[in-house]
Amino acid sequence: MTIPEPLTASVRIAAPPATVFPYLVDPALMIRWIGHWADLDPEPGGVFALDVETAAVRGRFLSVEPPTRVVFTWGVPGSEVIPAGSTTIEILLRPDGPDTIVELVHHDLPPSEQPAHLEGWSTCLGCLVRALSAPKTAPAKRSPGGP
Amino acid sequence: MATSGSGTHPHTVSAVHGSAAGDDIGAVTDVVLRALADPQRRRILRLVRGGELPAGEIARQFAVTQQGVSHHLQVLHRAGLLRERREGTKRLYTLDPQALDPVREVLADLWPSALQRLKHIVEHDQTSAGDHPPS
Repeated sequence: MTIPEPLTASVRIAAPPATVFPYLVDPALMIRWIGHWADLDPEPGGVFALDVETAAVRGRFLSVEPPTRVVFTWGVPGSEVIPAGSTTIEILLRPDGPDTIVELVHHDLPPSEQPAHLEGWSTCLGCLVRALSAPKTAPAKRSPGGP
Repeated sequence: MATSGSGTHPHTVSAVHGSAAGDDIGAVTDVVLRALADPQRRRILRLVRGGELPAGEIARQFAVTQQGVSHHLQVLHRAGLLRERREGTKRLYTLDPQALDPVREVLADLWPSALQRLKHIVEHDQTSAGDHPPS
């Protein structure tokens, strides 16, 4: 069985890493860009819990190095495809002049030859998709303030 | 996606980016999920995962009309789950191996959009807060 390539995504943010970092480890700030409920204990072994609509994402922090790097496990309890803690996400914040380059690497995703899971896709993926793609955190409006 | 902003109106630019990204991903995943939601279509996928089959051969396996099967094949093809090849008058179908990993596909779409939201929110907060970034 081949080991799948990690997924990567990146973005440039017009703010220094120290400004961006809290959005990755502070529950109140995190749910403004992903999910609607979070319980985060940002230290090695600490809880990483994020609810995105009907999907519960659960894992543990593996490494927390403000303001440049955070690593946590990521999965969905009860999912055959990505059980709780089964995949690993590493987020790197690299300063570039006044900006930050955010690089996200999602490791350990399941290999692709899994047609037996066809049935599971439509259900477990449905919630993930709706959850994670929900544009309800659209930043156009002013947020009501703190938590 | 190529909305150009001078940076002088970050609120407006954020709004355009946010909704456009959401719509794109919503539309794409919607097509895939709807294609997978039907038990007959999932059966077709299992049927062709071992290799290429002509449409007629697939239709013979089902207790529905050839037209019905054709429709299912088109839905699966449009969703990117099946590859279609023509050989004379025959249409041959096989599972697209890349479509076998929807988790990966979904996440491959989602992370960039999530990071875009992160970008807009951080930059929006920066703008609103002036020189007082949130701690």
